[in-house]
Amino acid sequence: MKQVLALAVGMSILAIPALAQEEPVLNIYNWSDYIAEDTISNFEAQTGIKVNYDVFDGNEVLEAKMLTGSSGYDVVVPTNNFLERQIQAGIYMELDASKLPNLKNMDPAIMTTLAISDPGNTHAIVYMWGTTGMGYSAKAIAERMPDAPSDSWDMIFDPEIAKNFADCGITMLDAPAEVMSAALNYLGLDPLSEDEGDLQKATDLVLSVRPYIRYFHSSQYISDLANGDICLSLGWSGDIFIAQARAVEAANGVEVVYVIPKEGAQVWTDNMAIPKDAPHPDNAHKFINYIMEPEVVAAISDYVFYANGNAASTPLIDPAVTGDPAIYPPDDVKAKLFAIKSHSPAYDRLLTRAWTRIKTGQ
Amino acid sequence: MTLMDSLAADSRPWAFLRRLLAKAGLSGRGLVIAAPMLWLLVFFLVPFLVVTKIALSELVIASPPYAPMIEWTKGGELIVKLNFGNFQFLFSEPLYLNAYLGSIKFAAISTLIALLIAYPMAYLIARSGERTRNVLLMLVILPFWTSFLLRVYAWIGFLKGNGVVNNVLMSVGIIHDPIVMLQTDFAVYLGIVYTYLPFMILPLYANLVKLEDDLLEASADLGARPFMTFLTITLPLSLPGIIAGSMLVFIPAVGEFVIPALLGGPDTLMIGRILWDEFFSNRDWPVASSVAIIMVVALVFPIMIMRSAQDRMEEKAK
Amino acid sequence: MAQAQKQKHAADTRPWRDPNAIPFVRIEAVSKRFPNGVLAVDQVSLDIYKGELFCLLGGSGSGKSTLLRMLAGFEAPTGGKILIDGEDMAGVAPYNRPVNMMFQSYALFPHMSVEANIAYGLKRDGMAANDIRSRVEELLNLVHLPGYEKRKPGQLSGGQRQRVALARSLAKKPKLLLLDEPLGALDKKLRERTQYELVKIQEQTGVTFIVVTHDQEEAMSLATRIGVMDTGIIAQIGEPNEIYEFPNSRYVAGFIGNVNMFEGVVTEDEPDHVRIRCAETVNDILVPHGVSCAPDQTLWYAIRPEKLQISRERPEGDANFAYGLVDEVVYLGDLSVYYIVLESGMRIQATKPNIDRWDEENIRWDEHIYVTWEGAAGAVLTS
Repeated sequence: MKQVLALAVGMSILAIPALAQEEPVLNIYNWSDYIAEDTISNFEAQTGIKVNYDVFDGNEVLEAKMLTGSSGYDVVVPTNNFLERQIQAGIYMELDASKLPNLKNMDPAIMTTLAISDPGNTHAIVYMWGTTGMGYSAKAIAERMPDAPSDSWDMIFDPEIAKNFADCGITMLDAPAEVMSAALNYLGLDPLSEDEGDLQKATDLVLSVRPYIRYFHSSQYISDLANGDICLSLGWSGDIFIAQARAVEAANGVEVVYVIPKEGAQVWTDNMAIPKDAPHPDNAHKFINYIMEPEVVAAISDYVFYANGNAASTPLIDPAVTGDPAIYPPDDVKAKLFAIKSHSPAYDRLLTRAWTRIKTGQ
Repeated sequence: MTLMDSLAADSRPWAFLRRLLAKAGLSGRGLVIAAPMLWLLVFFLVPFLVVTKIALSELVIASPPYAPMIEWTKGGELIVKLNFGNFQFLFSEPLYLNAYLGSIKFAAISTLIALLIAYPMAYLIARSGERTRNVLLMLVILPFWTSFLLRVYAWIGFLKGNGVVNNVLMSVGIIHDPIVMLQTDFAVYLGIVYTYLPFMILPLYANLVKLEDDLLEASADLGARPFMTFLTITLPLSLPGIIAGSMLVFIPAVGEFVIPALLGGPDTLMIGRILWDEFFSNRDWPVASSVAIIMVVALVFPIMIMRSAQDRMEEKAK
Repeated sequence: MAQAQKQKHAADTRPWRDPNAIPFVRIEAVSKRFPNGVLAVDQVSLDIYKGELFCLLGGSGSGKSTLLRMLAGFEAPTGGKILIDGEDMAGVAPYNRPVNMMFQSYALFPHMSVEANIAYGLKRDGMAANDIRSRVEELLNLVHLPGYEKRKPGQLSGGQRQRVALARSLAKKPKLLLLDEPLGALDKKLRERTQYELVKIQEQTGVTFIVVTHDQEEAMSLATRIGVMDTGIIAQIGEPNEIYEFPNSRYVAGFIGNVNMFEGVVTEDEPDHVRIRCAETVNDILVPHGVSCAPDQTLWYAIRPEKLQISRERPEGDANFAYGLVDEVVYLGDLSVYYIVLESGMRIQATKPNIDRWDEENIRWDEHIYVTWEGAAGAVLTS
């Protein structure tokens, strides 16, 4: 018994300098299909830190883990509106700028967008950003409506037009804040409005096209769009690009197109943050700084078809990506993009209720 | 007990343990009863109390996202806050009532369909020869060897617009445009019935296999045609099996989330999805917990009623 | 007592002795081969007359239950014909036969009251509720269970259940009642009393009974006639005393009662007597009547223990006795059983009624004695 005790004491003495140095481990929780194939292995090779890489496919799942606490993760990647509330809940630590020399590479414009959710950019760094727009199957739309206004939200929000596509399948994200802000924007209202009357108008708008909507889901539309099981989706830019690529791979005659509608669309950012109870905060800083290397993040953008928030990387990215106005929109389109904030809990409740009513068609 | 016996007893390793437990007032029988009680306590009662606690808390933006129920103030006061607002809210919103009713409707209809399909199957298995019976039972249980999720995904492959069923029907020329089967109530019923069918078949089989041929022959002998024999003998005697199987299907079906989420349409209103939305989308843990508590309470009553009906039935059969 | 009464009744009407009588149940060369190839019943022919209490007696696997189930309609014969009251039963479902059955397990419906059990068949016939009630009452009186209407089978004793089963099977006034081991599940004492009641009920109702049993005592005391079955065939049909005193084969002789069986060869084959040389008795066996057999044929002489006398004196003559040592004496009260080892080493048994309360002269264990018998007291068997 004494021996065991002595051993334990000895180990704890050894552990103290090790703690100061941190064991060479890093636990990352990121979206699925959201990193280049060699990013992690390169980081491990460069730093000698062993990375445990887990993935999720919804902010809700991430949030539930974060709110429960003691997740064990060192770096997580929430979307801006979720990040905002999570910062309010006190989940994330403030970043140590001294350990992030590559901050200088970041695009000030996109970091300002993020500042709506994270004032002063103290808690998070933009990883990728994109828009919430429309994806459609060109052939299916043309067959049903040759003169379809495919650059406009009319496709989804005008019942007279949407009904043409009901038989081939319209889908929406199961994300109330994103869909409702798009609806508010389409109605010419403030997409960030928390006014109950505005919410009612947006609800009525979505309900007016509700009969033509096949389902509300935040990931299933990727494969369905690629397979031609559906033809029109309100979805995230990157997801629709994935669907595009899959359709090309499958050579099934489906041509998926992504547009940022002319009325304007929501811009969102996925951001790297460090939980307060992260076991390896130093390694986490190292990783975030590593991602901010222009070459590293450029490779990721090439792979995942998302714009990143790193200005210095833009010249290094494949021109096919940077040249695509759907990924890197021109300035006039950019002017119409808007970011969303998290809502007050009271409004959140109203929003969820309205959303459930919409989904169930009641 | 002679000295030798007690020495022999002492040499057994468990004798010491038994004496120790006896000193603590625990007999072997006590332990046998205590084990399942402990199980229920740890895996049912404690989680239930935790959920109840959350249901009675207030929503806050924090981690965890609800206010503590018990607080020590600096002045040394103990403050216990019980917030019944969440329950009030559930009763004030027709949505929740509709969701409960929707769940019960889905579960009840699925249970009925499962019963109608399972009964002849269980009957056939119970009436077949021993070897055939074992093979058939194996076939019933076989799907459990693959993941439940995988099997539900397989149904997606069958039912979707360009899935197996539509492709076959179209290639044969029965239909020209694909039928929308996925994301409909039909798909949910199909999924629930398919998934829970074994839970209906097995208790029915266990009951029907005990049904003695003599009773059926006696009924025929006394002038009852086969259908009358079924109505007056087989059916009433298999009621305990029907009740057991129905409970095993109905109860999990009420709280089912995965099947309506994957196969159902957006208007498939079931309490499991509402719960998911409250917890994940709305991050309103207190309301989500209240939904769960009411579901448990709402389910406990039918279970109790069915159990007592079953007990009466067994009493009768004696 | 019961036996005496029944015998008298049987003596009054013995239609099987009347060549012009029309049988009520006619079984013609009926066979049953099961799908697994087992031939359970092999070309059985049997006539049963109205009002009979016929016992099918046999061990397990003799085919008696299969024959009964074919009469009830639960099994279809694979050959032959069954006529009940002149009607061919081929293709007639159990629920359409004028036959009821009392099951060995009683097969009472556990979820129904005694009343509902008895009324079950009547309800199927669409009898009016009032008539059903009075019929149930009548039957419960018949089986001495009045007032038991509301009980469940689970609340009855074995004997009571047996009587409810009987009442239920009689409810529809069947022309023919089949009883499968009706007393098999009862203990010995109850069985004796129930035997008596069963016979009485049969006489009261006048229903033709066919009883399957493996218990030879039961068959002897119940039956007007017995059919002894052995591996699918009927070995012998006859009245109980015929079967006992004049068995036609070693199987029948051995199946009913105790018997000493001597194997021998015919040495004198005359119309008025037969002499059998038997190594087991040492001395010859002389039978005072003719036997149809070939010279030098091996045959068997079966004699019941009560037909043997024992004495210390050597009997007159050169035949029908044997010499041996008393190996064991079992005192049974009314009689004593002597187990005797003959010179040849064969062990036989003889019984002697204990006429005197105390007999100092009684033959005891370890004595050498002579066993003698009347030549006509045994049966000569060729198979």
